[in-house]
Amino acid sequence: METYIEKLIGEVTDVMGRLPIREIAKAINVIQATYERDGRIYIFGNGGSLAIATHWVSDFNKTVFSHNLGKHTRRFQAIRLPTTEEELSAWANDEGYDMVFAGPLQNYLQETDCVIGISSSGNSLNVIKAVELARNHHVPVIGLMGFDGGKLRELADVKIHVATEKGRYEIVEGIHAVIFHVITKYFQDLFGHMIKQ
Amino acid sequence: MILVRSPLRISFVGGGTDLAPFFAQHPGRVVSATINKFVYVVVNSTPLINKITVKYQKTEQVSHPSELEHPSIKAALIDLGLLEQGVEIGSFADLPSKIGLGSSSSFSVALMKGLHAYRGRKLSKKEAAEAACRLEIDLLAEPIGKQDQYAAAFGGFNLFQFNPDRSVDVEPLLLDYKKRSLLEDHLLLFFTGITRSASSVLREQHSNINNHLETYKKMAGAARVFSNCLMEGDMERMAALLREGWLHKKKLASTITNALINEFYESGMASGALAGKILGAGGGGSLLFLAPPHAHENIIDMLETMARKNNLAEWKHIPFKFVQSGTDIIFNRDGNIY
Repeated sequence: METYIEKLIGEVTDVMGRLPIREIAKAINVIQATYERDGRIYIFGNGGSLAIATHWVSDFNKTVFSHNLGKHTRRFQAIRLPTTEEELSAWANDEGYDMVFAGPLQNYLQETDCVIGISSSGNSLNVIKAVELARNHHVPVIGLMGFDGGKLRELADVKIHVATEKGRYEIVEGIHAVIFHVITKYFQDLFGHMIKQ
Repeated sequence: MILVRSPLRISFVGGGTDLAPFFAQHPGRVVSATINKFVYVVVNSTPLINKITVKYQKTEQVSHPSELEHPSIKAALIDLGLLEQGVEIGSFADLPSKIGLGSSSSFSVALMKGLHAYRGRKLSKKEAAEAACRLEIDLLAEPIGKQDQYAAAFGGFNLFQFNPDRSVDVEPLLLDYKKRSLLEDHLLLFFTGITRSASSVLREQHSNINNHLETYKKMAGAARVFSNCLMEGDMERMAALLREGWLHKKKLASTITNALINEFYESGMASGALAGKILGAGGGGSLLFLAPPHAHENIIDMLETMARKNNLAEWKHIPFKFVQSGTDIIFNRDGNIY
């Protein structure tokens, strides 16, 4: 059992050692520019990726500023798509599952915003549809993908590709969570630094 | 109404190597960064006013763009075929123009982005930079380079390479906030109170390029080294490269510096600065010093006293922060509620 676990952890460590650091840095710049122009950050994905999107939104909107909430009058405006389960089911039921992200995104999207699409395969059609909508508006797209990167790797302006064998969701989703926490920590440190100045 | 915001920039090294007569022979390179001082352009549809209205220091109201005095708005409207009446265009800025922070190109990028958006077309960063270059260099025949249009359109710290085939490579320099903040803490920016149009200095510089090819090549080469020092946060080496750059730049045209600017430079250096340079084409504009934070107060006082003695009423210390955002449409709504 212990050897089995060690092997799994070893696989994760291998992938961790090959992360696209420069793309993560670019993602941070895109998010910073969005903050500077008072834009919003839309995050979306399916299943485990939706859980990551929700967690990310929560950390961006609160955790990043939590050491000094009162002093940061302007904070991140991160929004998970769709914002309610009712919208999710309404779009899925009435317009098809492909539209669950692009549909609600169209209501909000402004040129000042950015989007973060998360898809382990990089091929989830609903994620791709929303990314295409953003691209048509020249809104910057940060993509988090796994496996071979799929279509999202082609479309995203910033390609955070956790390259693995096909089907290794547990590695991809786990590392996606690490990456968003790294980004969160960066901004937490940055805003903490701004307050001290 | 469409509101476009475009940042001003500070260029560190390589200014001048973005001029076509140089980069047509050898790739030019510039390192620059955008700051939190902005130019704003508004484009608004006025269906009930049958005129083309342009608002800047003065207000013009005409029936056809060819009657406009404002050269770049006139040229842009005619080039885009935006000839119909019922539109107003206004410009606003945090700082006066002609101060060496690239404001006229920031304005051009904002204008082109705004006018294209008015026609329902969204420009990418590259398209916006190129549209502004076309306006200023091709249509208005300004003897300027391409660095400012690219700096404003892309935003942040960048190393730009201007290639002989006219293409431009944009390499973002990904500085973390600690290095960015450390650099901000070391920089001092002053507006000299002397305004000049970049064109007058650049015209002379243009005609002399072939006599100074080796100097330009050194400047283009220094840009790569400077970007490495920037990424490492190495203030000493950055200062050395800035000092060297200033010595090179002074040679390129007789009007780049003058006795008064030299005096300010020397005084800044004597008060504790590690390096200094003129920002923009030269002959006036702004001065940038790299100095340890403890020397700042001293430098500010010394230079202010000197400015007063020389009756430079507009002399100003300009506190600033770097920004990551480039030229952005920050508001875009038509008047229809439904």
